[in-house]
Amino acid sequence: MLSVEALKIRYGEVEAVRRVDLAVDSGEIIALVGANGAGKSSTLGAIAGLVPAASGKVVFDGVDITGLAPEAIARKGVSLVPEGRRIFAGLTVADNLRLGGAVHLSAPEARAREEEMLDLFPILRRYHRAKGGNLSGGEQQMLAIARALMGKPRMVLLDEPSLGLAPQLIDTVFDLIAELRRTGLTILLVEQNVALALEIADRAIVLANGEVVLSGTAKELASSDLVRQAYLGA
Amino acid sequence: MIAQQIINAVSLGGVYALLALGLAIVFSIVGLINFAHGELMTLSGYALLAALVFGLPFPLAVLVAVSCGALAAVAMERVAFRPMRDASVTSLLLTSFAVSSLLKVVFQNGISARPQAVAMPGWMTGAFSFGDFTIGVGPSISIVVSALALIALELFLRRTVTGTAMRAAAEDFNVVRLMGIPASRIIATAFLLSGLLAGLAAMLWVAQRASVDPLMGFTPVLKAFIAAVVGGLGSLPGAVAGGFLLGIIEVLLQATLPAAVAPYRDAIVLSGVIAVLLVRPQGLIPAVRVQRS
Ligand SMILES: Nc1ncnc2c1ncn2[C@@H]1O[C@H](COP(=O)(O)OP(=O)(O)OP(=O)(O)O)[C@@H](O)[C@H]1O
Ligand SMILES: [Mg+2]
Repeated sequence: MLSVEALKIRYGEVEAVRRVDLAVDSGEIIALVGANGAGKSSTLGAIAGLVPAASGKVVFDGVDITGLAPEAIARKGVSLVPEGRRIFAGLTVADNLRLGGAVHLSAPEARAREEEMLDLFPILRRYHRAKGGNLSGGEQQMLAIARALMGKPRMVLLDEPSLGLAPQLIDTVFDLIAELRRTGLTILLVEQNVALALEIADRAIVLANGEVVLSGTAKELASSDLVRQAYLGA
Repeated sequence: MIAQQIINAVSLGGVYALLALGLAIVFSIVGLINFAHGELMTLSGYALLAALVFGLPFPLAVLVAVSCGALAAVAMERVAFRPMRDASVTSLLLTSFAVSSLLKVVFQNGISARPQAVAMPGWMTGAFSFGDFTIGVGPSISIVVSALALIALELFLRRTVTGTAMRAAAEDFNVVRLMGIPASRIIATAFLLSGLLAGLAAMLWVAQRASVDPLMGFTPVLKAFIAAVVGGLGSLPGAVAGGFLLGIIEVLLQATLPAAVAPYRDAIVLSGVIAVLLVRPQGLIPAVRVQRS
């Protein structure tokens, strides 16, 4: 469904991503893991069109989307939940959700979809009229995911959904991701929490210094020495 | 007398508020102080003049003039700013300076450097009397128009999807684009609104003075810029508050300063501005904005 070929990303002189190749099939969860600064967020940014690729190619559904504007890529059904949530703090939960579906759905569709989201994230129903900025970190993460799902994307890119959440909340978020996957959604998941990521993913890719150093099924990686030593603390 | 002064103060404040709002809307989305905002106002003034000279009835002429301001703003964005979408804010600022200077020269050479009289309808200069009070028709209309414009803008920003997207874009433009909402639509709407507001402000300004000249927009937009900074640059409630505050203070000083100090009115106002910014560097009602590299 998505393939990234020989992606290179530069910020001025700094080469943040040297070469990343990856492929995600329909209905899969792929985990993209690696240390701080490995280039995970940059890779997601390039797929979503926020970060220009210095070279290489991003293909979605057989269409080359490299260099398209973020709004054009979003309309094709790829939705990024950015690092740090970035919900609209000054807007109500309802307005945050409404924007998520603004260009994808008609008004009645959007209302129906909003109901679905509120069923999936009951906490958001409680704070429906509250400003996004007044929610706790976990609630904001739920809102960010719900907002990205509003437009019924075919693929979501999740950038560290567990960041800064209490362990209990992390479980809730990961249960939710598993649930989304059962609905047929394709997911590219960036995570620092490698153990959790490997538990939920079908396959995983390890990035270090902007390059893929390892990839395989989640099972294979969980038992690989490199991953165990470097990321699982075993 | 006092009632008349209050009306004058609120009416001037309303004009500043409309102009400051226009500056703030564009700034909140694009990060640009549009120095050519004053020329949008001047252009609307000339459009009113032309429409009246062509013999259009007054309400229609006003409609044409305000639309010209709005269209000119959209055109300005298309021609001057859109090609520079990825340029630095400094380049955008310089571009807006260039557009401003260019338009001034066009007005001066294409029309005339001298003020042109605009034939306003006679009833504009009339006055109501309530017992001892006399209140000018012009300033009263100005207040009503400003209030309606503020309410309409508020409704637009709160109730419509595009308005909501604009409030969101002021916080985090890129995430709005991630929702699939086109950047160009948001930016064009911001300019359209700023042009509409400049056009309305021009009508109110001309109504009080019955003339237009190539530099007409300069002073009010300079004041509006100060109002926007005092209110909190990029904050819409701040721009409105700053506009009214500045208008009211100006008229108050005008009415109360002894003749010997009167020439220093603007200096006194600006000292006040500096004092406000020393105490509240982000302005009276700071804008919410996520700063990202
Ligand atoms: N906007 C930018 N300008 C300059 N350098 C950047 C920018 N964004 C990222 N970088 C650099 O690129 C490298 C990769 O960053 P990236 O954010 O992709 O890493 P990451 O794997 O997501 O890290 P983390 O786990 O900390 O989120 C880092 O060295 C970072 O400093
Ligand atoms: Mg990251």
